[in-house]
Formats: sequence, structure tokens, C-alpha cells
Amino acid sequence: MDISRRDFLQIAGALGLLSATGANLFAGEAGKEKIKKLSFSNIVDFEAKGKVSLLHICDLHAHIKPLYWREPSTLISAKNLVGTPGFICGDSFQKFYNVKSGTLEQYFDTYNDFSELAKKFGKMGGISHIKPLIDYVRKERGEKNVLLLDSGDTWQGTAVALKSKGEAIVDAQNYLGVDVMVGHWEFTYGKERVMELIKKFKGEFISQNVLDNDPFSDNFEEVVFPPYTIKEVGGAKIGIIGQSFPFTSTANPKRFTEGWSFGLRHESLQEYVNELRGKKKVDCVVVLSHDGFSVDQELAKKVKGVDFILSGHTHDPSPEPIIINNTVILIAGSHGKYVGRLDIDIQKGKVKDYNFKLMPVASNLIPADKEGDKLIEKWYKPYNKELNEVLGITKNLLYKRDTFYSTFDALIGEAIKEEMGSDIVFTPGYRWGTTLLPNDKITKDNVYEMTAITYPEVYTFKLKGDKIYSLMEDIADNVFNSNPLYQQGGDMSRLTGASYSIKIDAKAGKRISDFKIGGKPIDLKRTYKVSSWGGNLQNAGTSLEKKKIRAVYDVVSDYIRKKKVIDIPLKSNVKILDFNCGCPQKGAKC
Amino acid sequence: MRRREFIQGMFAVSAVAITPTTVLAKEDKAKKKGVNDMSFEDALKAITGGKEVKESKKIKFTAPEIAENGAVVPIKVEVDHPMEENNYVKAIHILNTANGNARCADVMLTPANGRGYFSTRIKLSKTQDVVAVVALSDGTFIKASSSVKVTIGGCG
Repeated sequence: MDISRRDFLQIAGALGLLSATGANLFAGEAGKEKIKKLSFSNIVDFEAKGKVSLLHICDLHAHIKPLYWREPSTLISAKNLVGTPGFICGDSFQKFYNVKSGTLEQYFDTYNDFSELAKKFGKMGGISHIKPLIDYVRKERGEKNVLLLDSGDTWQGTAVALKSKGEAIVDAQNYLGVDVMVGHWEFTYGKERVMELIKKFKGEFISQNVLDNDPFSDNFEEVVFPPYTIKEVGGAKIGIIGQSFPFTSTANPKRFTEGWSFGLRHESLQEYVNELRGKKKVDCVVVLSHDGFSVDQELAKKVKGVDFILSGHTHDPSPEPIIINNTVILIAGSHGKYVGRLDIDIQKGKVKDYNFKLMPVASNLIPADKEGDKLIEKWYKPYNKELNEVLGITKNLLYKRDTFYSTFDALIGEAIKEEMGSDIVFTPGYRWGTTLLPNDKITKDNVYEMTAITYPEVYTFKLKGDKIYSLMEDIADNVFNSNPLYQQGGDMSRLTGASYSIKIDAKAGKRISDFKIGGKPIDLKRTYKVSSWGGNLQNAGTSLEKKKIRAVYDVVSDYIRKKKVIDIPLKSNVKILDFNCGCPQKGAKC
Repeated sequence: MRRREFIQGMFAVSAVAITPTTVLAKEDKAKKKGVNDMSFEDALKAITGGKEVKESKKIKFTAPEIAENGAVVPIKVEVDHPMEENNYVKAIHILNTANGNARCADVMLTPANGRGYFSTRIKLSKTQDVVAVVALSDGTFIKASSSVKVTIGGCG
């Protein structure tokens, strides 16, 4: 049966899954019956086009097991950007894509009614549930007509990834059959390990924007990885160019990539597009990218001749493509929640038509593949005892995504503040992690899901008030820059022990006001005791307390063990002055 | 760019006079004027003698959007202009707009250089525009600029 997304919604409506009033129809036992009517075929149903299928995953963050992942409750940006894809969430997302309440789409794409819907629909993602979707498409279209492309941020994010130095995840990629990938957090395993893992990886690692930067090297200013690959699929030649994260060396510690230079490099990207179109005579040009959804929308304005950009980094679920200057831009969420399917009809060396769908990896609707379960068991076995330890329980929802404040980060901040005795704690605004429902047990594995990085050190040092202030302004200018090229695709650093107001639309350096530390207005001349992890703030401070340095996952685990019951308030410590809601629509309206 | 090309590019520049940027004053002394300080306006005037400088698409100015390291920001200037006896690129000047001393590099060229090309690394104290001013042999000036963000870094 060939049905499109719109048809699917109609079918879902016919099945009685949708409610005209938006009320939750899944409440109670009757609700469970209705969910059973949604099945595997609803997930894979698709109107096929042409002979080529590209399957797309991005930002798995090493989640080989299913998880809960709640989308952001606040996603604010500069006024010109809010309300556009990449900067919509919750209600503005539902309105933009016409997502009905109580549906699987609402559960996957927004934070609305998350705890309720989580109980009805269950966990998301996991390789054992991703694999059947990939197998289904390969069977439908024929092995040789399908490619699986991975936009990166795949090797990092969980305990098994960290403890196996990425190897568990490369094994998972080989199991899924990833053909081509690019990277970002991959690089935080260090250059040598990246090269070792690429050898174990059965697909190709490509990037046109990572150059050798060592003037004494024979390869000075040459590409470190193959810039592109050409694949013969469904009787057509597809040129795939790689874009790794352009700001890896500023967003993550430089020491991991010393001697390599990153950047957007749209000029050389254009040259490769021309080379593929001209000399190599490809029928279709695809950019596999970890630039971020909004940066790729800017890139499409600068570079001509790209048919498709398969984006990543910013974790956006985007049910519909974005089209800019004839370039179609797609992104497939994060944490293994979706597999994007792109069918392309190529005729006489040109893209004639295409169709796209995000297939939600709803673990309850997709029977687990046994090989995948075996692979998970193999990699978890040595660590099960440590990772299954129940540290405590949480009274409220623990989540990660929000521009300013999230409960799991607040818990991490609290733990660090208590152990280090600091005035203020900085926790990074990464966009990966996990979600725990109210009354869930918190395991050691969950703590790693929020903190599993190769530079987990919590630093405690002294910083003057004026420096803290200017650092916050600097970070705000990255996050809220009206030009996506100057953003780095993360959220604001989270603060514990402090509160502030922010005017997003103010000029750089003038956004933050009413800054309080320990309930009192910040004293710009005073020196504060600051703790931070996951960034490079410690480089700006003085009198680093070397003896106090500990791994963040150990600090947080100790704290939860001691507290047993965790009760983090849902209320943010940041006041937004120029928006009345967390998910504004276009025109900055709430 | 390939290594060979890069080396050729280096040789193409016959006389390179790089004015070192002032050692950046520590923040608490930021307001004290250094002996070597020169504003962008003064530096531009010293080069052009007050003549008009037009934005030009003949200059291809390459700089990173976000500097990987503010101490060594790679920049590249390519001028699409003949290098003939009486019609050539006479000089390429690199200027910053927010360091203590606005002058980064002055490169004098002759037709024998074959190409109006210069590539180097400059030091930038903070987020700012970097400007390439090109002097042509007929006494006119053209320019191109690019904004470079210098940040302590941030988010993953």
C-alpha cells in the first residue's frame, strides 16, 4: 500500500487516533487498545519515487538501546529566526506542521504532554528497532538501490561508547550497514583513535572541510579525509560530499584535533560540486552534513548545484523538506528517534522528483531484531553491574532540551555546587542526553547518558564578576546571533547558584541584566568561586583547585546516592524579557 | 590549496613587510594607549592619502567565519587583476579594525610577481572586521572585508 504522510494522518484519523478537540484519546485502558491499531505498516508506508532510496540518520549519540527523548520546551533565537524550521517547538511546531494532539507525531516531535504520551507509546529508537525499518526499505527497493547515510555525532553519548572508546558504536553502524558518514563528537576520541575507528568502520568517512594544519607536514593544507565519494545506486551516479562540524576546534577542546583545521569552507565545497557535476558527470549531488539545520539553510544560499543536503547537529525533527535555491534540505532529529527516507527519481542525469518521510522509530510498534539485541548485550555485558546500579529516584521529569534551563542539568549543577562548595556552576548547553519520567529510577547508565565525554573533569577556580558577565554575553552572542553562520548550534550554558534576565534582541554585549549570584546582584569587582565542566571556561579563571578535579559522572552519582530522592523544580532561573513563551511563532509572536 | 601552489604563492610575493601587531595590553590596562597604536581610520589614511577606496568584487578575500584560534587567523587575498608592465597590483594591505594597531601586513608587488596574491596568519584580539586594501598601479584603491568572530567557544 502506497500512502503519503497526509494519507497516514487521515488513516490515523479514521482509526480514531485523533481528536478534533485535541483532547488526549489515549487515556485509560481504552487508549491502549487504540494504540495497538497503529502498526509497523503505518511507520513504513510511503509513496515510492524513482529507483534510488537514501536512508538518513543523524545524532544517534551512541544510543544503541531505546530511550525517552523529550524535544525542547524553549527554543528561542534571534527575532528573524524564531518560528522558522530549526527554531520551532511545542505549540509552534504543531501549528507549523499541523500536528494533532494525542498522536504519535506529537509525542515524537514536541514536548507537549510528554509524560502522558510516553506511557502510552513507550520508548524511542534503539538499533534493534532501527534495523527492521532499514531492512524493509532494502527489501522493497532492492539492496543495490539503497544507501544508508549518517550525519555524525554517532560515536559519543553513552557509557558503552565511552568505555569502548567508540568501538561499540562502530560495531552498531556496521550492523545497521552505514555506507557513508561525517563527524563532530567523533573527533573527541582524539585523532589517532578516530583513524583506528575509521579502519574498523565498514563504510566511508568523508569530509571536505577538515584540512591538515601542520606546516611541517607533507600534507599541509590538504584534506585529511576523502572529500567526497561517488556511489552507483539505482542506475544513477550519486556524488556525496562530506561536511563535518565546522566549529569542532572551538566547541570542543583543541587538543583532540591539534594539527587539523575545521571551517565551513563553502568556497571549496563549491569547487567539489563543480568537479562532481563537470569532470565526474554525476546525476545527483548530495551534501552529507553536520553543519546544523540553520547553517545549512545559509550554505544553500552560498553554494550552487547541490540537489540535497542531509543535515545534522541541531537535532531538529523536520517532517517536511526546506527548499532554498533548488537545494532540498532534510534533517532526521536525534538519538535514533527517526530514520529519514528520501526517494529520488533521476532521469537523463537530473533529479526529476523526490519524496521524503521521517519514519518514527516507535519501539513498541517495531519488533526488535534479535541480532541487534545480541550486539547490545555483548557490549553492555562487561559493564552491566556498574551501569544498572539504581542511584535514586526522581519525583519530576528529568530532561535536557531547552534554550536556558533543564531539570537534568539543574541536578548536575546542584551536585557539583554541593561537592565543590562553589558560588556558581556552569553546565554546558549540549543538545544530547536522556529523559526520565516522573518516579523513574535513576541509574548510573542514565548519569552517563548526560555526561559521557572524554573530558569529564569538573574544574573549580576563581573568576571575577565582570569576567563571568562578559563570558555569559559571549556565549549569548553565539547562541542568539541573527546570522546562523556565527552560531554554533548549541543552547545557553546552564547556571546553578545564579539567575538572570535576558533580552534576546538586544545588541551583542547588552543582552543580560539583573544578574544575581546567590540571590544578590553580581558584584563585578568581587572574585567568585566557579565550577565548570565540558567547556574551556577554566582557561579564563585563576587559582585552579587541582586536587578537587573529579569526573562529572562520579560527582553526580555520589550526590544522587546520598539524596536518594531527587526533586528538581521545573521553574527556570532565566527570565526572557522579549518573549512571553518558549516556543514563539514566526514574527516572534507567542 | 595544494602545498606546491602555496609555495608558489609565497614566492610570488617579492617583498613582504609585515608590521607586527602590538602585544595586546592586559585587560586592566586596556584603555592606556600603546606607543604602537594606530586606529583603522589613521592606518587607511596613511595608505591611501585620503583617496576614495571602493568595495570591489575583484578581490577574493577568504577568512574563517569563526576563528579557531584568535592568535593565528588564516587569511587569503586573491586579486583578479592583470600583472602587466603598466597595469598591475601594486600592493596588498591587511588591516584589522579592533586591535591596538590596525595594520597587520603591507605587501608590495611588481608585475614580475605574476599574481596579485597573498596569504598569511594574523592575530585578532576580539570579534571584528578584517579589511584588505589593494593599491593598483594607476593610483586607485579597492577593498574587501570579512567579519571574523573570536570566541572562547561554547556549545557542542
